[in-house]
Amino acid sequence: MSTANLVNENFDDSEDEDDFNPKPADLSDVEDAGDGEDPNVQIRNEAAKHLADEDNNSEDGGDRRRSSNKSQDEDEDDEGGGGEDEDEDDEEDEDDEEIAGPKRKRVKRDRRNVFLDVEAEVDEDEDEADEDEEGNEIDGGFIADTHPDDLADLPAGGETDDRRHRELDRRREMEASLDAEKQAEILRQRYANKNRSGRGLGESDIVPRRLLLPSINDPSIWAVRCKEGKEREVVFSIIKRIEERMGTHDELKITSAFERGGIMSVMKGFIYVEAQRSADIMTALDGLMNVYPRTKMLMIEIKDMPDLLRVTKTPPLEPGAYVRLKRPPKYAGDLAQVIDVTDTGLELRVRYVPRLDYGMNEDMNAQLDGSKRKRTAAGPRPPQRLFSEIDAKKRHAKHLSGNPQTKSWSYLGDDYINGFCEKEVKLQALTTKDINPSLEEVTRFASGADDGTENLDLNALAASLKQSTANASYLPGDIIEVWEGEQKGVMGKAVSIHGDIVTMAVSEGPLRGQKIEVPVKGLRKRFKEGDHVKVIGGSRYRDEVGMVVKIAEDRVTLLSDQGNNEITVFSKDLREASDSGGNASLGQFELWDLIQLDPATVACVVKVERESLVVLDQNNQSRTVLPSQISNKIEKQRRSLVATDRNGAQIKLDDNVKEHAGETRTGKVIHIFRTYLFLRSASQSSNAGIFVTRTSAVNSVTAKATAASASLDLMAMNPALKLNPGAGNGGDMPPPKSFTRDRSIGQTVTIRKGPYKGLLGIVKEATDSSARVELHTKNKTIQVPKDALAFKDKLTGASIDPNGRGGRGGFSGRGGRGGFGGATPGGWEGGRTPAAGGDLGRTPAWGLGRTPAANGGRTPAWKKDGPDSGSRTPGWADGSRTVNPYDGSRTSYGGGNRTPAWSSGAKTPAYGGISSNAFDAGSKTPGYGGSGGGDAWGSKTPAYQPTPAADTWSSNNQSSSNSWGSNAYDAPTPGAPMSAPTPAAAPTPGDYSAPTPAPYSAPTPTAAPTPAPGWGGGWGAPTPQAMDAPTPGGQGAYYAAPTPGAYVGVPETPAANWQDDGPRYVD
Amino acid sequence: MADRDSSFVPSNQQRHLRACMVCAIVMTQSEFLKKGCPNCEEFLHLQGSMDTLHDCTSQVFEGLIALSDPTKSWVAKWMRLDGYVKGVYATKVSGTLPDEVVAVMEDEARIRFIPRDGTATDAD
Repeated sequence: MSTANLVNENFDDSEDEDDFNPKPADLSDVEDAGDGEDPNVQIRNEAAKHLADEDNNSEDGGDRRRSSNKSQDEDEDDEGGGGEDEDEDDEEDEDDEEIAGPKRKRVKRDRRNVFLDVEAEVDEDEDEADEDEEGNEIDGGFIADTHPDDLADLPAGGETDDRRHRELDRRREMEASLDAEKQAEILRQRYANKNRSGRGLGESDIVPRRLLLPSINDPSIWAVRCKEGKEREVVFSIIKRIEERMGTHDELKITSAFERGGIMSVMKGFIYVEAQRSADIMTALDGLMNVYPRTKMLMIEIKDMPDLLRVTKTPPLEPGAYVRLKRPPKYAGDLAQVIDVTDTGLELRVRYVPRLDYGMNEDMNAQLDGSKRKRTAAGPRPPQRLFSEIDAKKRHAKHLSGNPQTKSWSYLGDDYINGFCEKEVKLQALTTKDINPSLEEVTRFASGADDGTENLDLNALAASLKQSTANASYLPGDIIEVWEGEQKGVMGKAVSIHGDIVTMAVSEGPLRGQKIEVPVKGLRKRFKEGDHVKVIGGSRYRDEVGMVVKIAEDRVTLLSDQGNNEITVFSKDLREASDSGGNASLGQFELWDLIQLDPATVACVVKVERESLVVLDQNNQSRTVLPSQISNKIEKQRRSLVATDRNGAQIKLDDNVKEHAGETRTGKVIHIFRTYLFLRSASQSSNAGIFVTRTSAVNSVTAKATAASASLDLMAMNPALKLNPGAGNGGDMPPPKSFTRDRSIGQTVTIRKGPYKGLLGIVKEATDSSARVELHTKNKTIQVPKDALAFKDKLTGASIDPNGRGGRGGFSGRGGRGGFGGATPGGWEGGRTPAAGGDLGRTPAWGLGRTPAANGGRTPAWKKDGPDSGSRTPGWADGSRTVNPYDGSRTSYGGGNRTPAWSSGAKTPAYGGISSNAFDAGSKTPGYGGSGGGDAWGSKTPAYQPTPAADTWSSNNQSSSNSWGSNAYDAPTPGAPMSAPTPAAAPTPGDYSAPTPAPYSAPTPTAAPTPAPGWGGGWGAPTPQAMDAPTPGGQGAYYAAPTPGAYVGVPETPAANWQDDGPRYVD
Repeated sequence: MADRDSSFVPSNQQRHLRACMVCAIVMTQSEFLKKGCPNCEEFLHLQGSMDTLHDCTSQVFEGLIALSDPTKSWVAKWMRLDGYVKGVYATKVSGTLPDEVVAVMEDEARIRFIPRDGTATDAD
């Protein structure tokens, strides 16, 4: 049985012997137990078993004969079997291993068959064929006659038996019957096949690929990890191992291994191994470098297998296309343009901008050792510059030859034409994909035209760009359309994108609602006219945004938002735009920036393109510039930058101006450059709304223009004024100088600030701003700013008005007295004093000093700042007065002012109680008022009124005038009570007398008011005095109300008076 | 069957590799020159002819396949390599075979030329 087994070895793959008998019962004859687990082995065994059966039934027809046929095929026919792979497999195996023994044997057997006419036999099942060595004598060799095709191959086997000869004869007869042409055809075919090492292209030559798709019977393919970049090496080491072990016991059982590596490939890092079982791979790859079969191997699904071997054609390079050089290193990455392509497409003539140093750096190296020459390449490479024969002649004249007319030179072995270096390069030295030439690079080639004109080959550029973005970017949500392949016309929305496969949800047509997967290359994006889109792809229009106006095939024309011009791009380069305007900056330059082109020219950026800017210069010319042509950017000017329009009104940035002539366009000033204005108008579409005018050609129309100029503080801008800061305060006049002796001198002050804070002293000397203060605490005089002084009353220590007058108050005591002295009876003084005491000197003091009446009225007023007539005024204002002419005067005093002022009235009542003391009241502050004018003061009155007033005067006054009358009278009354205070009291009687005293009073209190008549006459009041007179009068009488009156009278304008007095007092 | 000693090419020789534009077999230039293309020598006659060699083989190829059993391998069938010898092949060979060579091949050798540069992939 060993022979049988040996034979069986050759039938490894006869796995599909469906018509085989059921499993053999007897496996004992199988010797290769080592392969026990291999299904093939089992099959083999079956085959062996079958063979045995066949032997037993050697007369059996069908199967038997079939097998015998096959056995012959092994030697004679190559293609004859028709479609069966096994056929070949078997043959192959036999070829490899059986050559020695069995073949010969069979050949002999064949000979025997020669005489049997079994040509009609159909060879339907060759698989079992080979087992027939022993029993199939009868069947053998018939197949040879079944097919002329088979016959054609006969010579391959080198058979020389006479069976063949006979067949040949037969064939010749047949051929003779065919016409010559057919015969030639057959012959040619026959010999062609023969020549091709046996089997030529194989049966798959003609078979369409779709019939070659893998089936479950084919070996599987596993992806095995390997080291990235080492794919090729791995494949070579596998083939090495295959060859090494071929024919040995541990021959590799993998059928093939391949890689699809490459820098850009998605399949790098893997090799793919084809084998029946993954275990075969493990053994085959075990111990190989750079491949890792022990990591997870991935079995490729059958349907994916063809994709592993997908080959896409590289679009052929056309002259004019752009490529990048990979080597030599000096030019790596440089753009080159294809001039010519050889037939094979593998070598190209390209031109590129040379990087030459014309030996400028060579000398240094030349002096060095020759071995160091390598370093030349290591240095920084020279910049790209068109070839210059002049430079070349300087040092390398001997290397240079050429014709100046044609501008073609040969220099150091390279050809330079029109400044470019032209060279034959191999395809593998070039990068042809994803070139993405920038506009700047491309323009170098454009400007090199013969006549100097720019002839940029946009088509070539477009081709380069188009191919570089072949991998269009789709995003989920894009509306896409299939425009190639079986699903052509299907529309839908992209759902997900994985590599080159887009999953789309179909939205129209019979497939609606389904999700299908489509390769990117058969897709295009779909837009509708009117869509707002943005160019995303790699054309020079990238980032343009516009509206679709026309769609033709996959080309879309859109109207750019910025330039209002039409551009046409591929739909794959578009995307629905949510934003508008696109990219508004290129490097540091943004839309509407002001840039400097040359020292005399500035321009405003009106459009930003992908690599260039469109600018409008000051002469209203627009041009396209590259960022490199811009010398610098003028930063936004300061806000204070102004110009004037033709009317001389100022123009600032952001102002609105209108052209005076021409189109009378209006615009907002965005830049001012000397006398040029760059204006932006929303109503203008060209140049991004920018236009240029001269300042003298526009009127400012900004509503706030005038206001703005008005608000311009010319004072602040006048340097002359700045010299004198004092004058800067709103231009106010400084307070008039008094030219008198500083009133603060001699005053008692405390120091409010500084190191001497809190100390008391006396002003010894003073200037406008500072004073020298002699401190009380120690004998020292210090200089203190006046504003750090607080004036104190010398006696009481109370704060006083630091403004001279307070001082007077103080003085008044003295002076007043003095002054009055004459006028007033001593008594007065007494009276006063207390008052003064009570009132802290000043007021009362005043009151005292002056007519009580005056006090009353004025006091408060004075207090406020004596001089202010204001305080008084209200008093005057009192309607009351008006009503009662009499009282008027008085009232005046009593006038509202006082009243409240005297709210002291509170006191009054008290006095009131002492009605008799009419005076008291009076004497008191009001006192005085009370006393003198005091009553007159009716002011307090109100309070009093109820009380005494009513009693006493009520009749009169009230009758006369309610308010006033009352007051007036009241005055007395209250006054009386008021006066209660000391002196007043005394006068009290006066109270009563008041009436009587009227005469007196007249002078006095009245005086106060009256004083006017009497004294100052300033007071209109006089008149009423008559009336009043009585009242206060009485009092006054005593009090010398007169006096005060006098005083008061004078004061009218207290200030003045006082001032006048001042000196006196001071003295 | 292989009439070459080895398909293996050490990595230092790999830059001299070329691929036959007809059958896509990958060998070094010197090997092509010495032995010709094992599959196509009948009509290409690469042996000893550097010019033909340059015309009919290409240095630009990608995707190597180590084929150990061309008859059983689906890969070989799919790549239409199943009549060829064992060895290393390329999935894609760039370059265009000169027209006259194609003519000779199809007319005289009666072999349909299958471009290996990817153009034929989608034909059927």
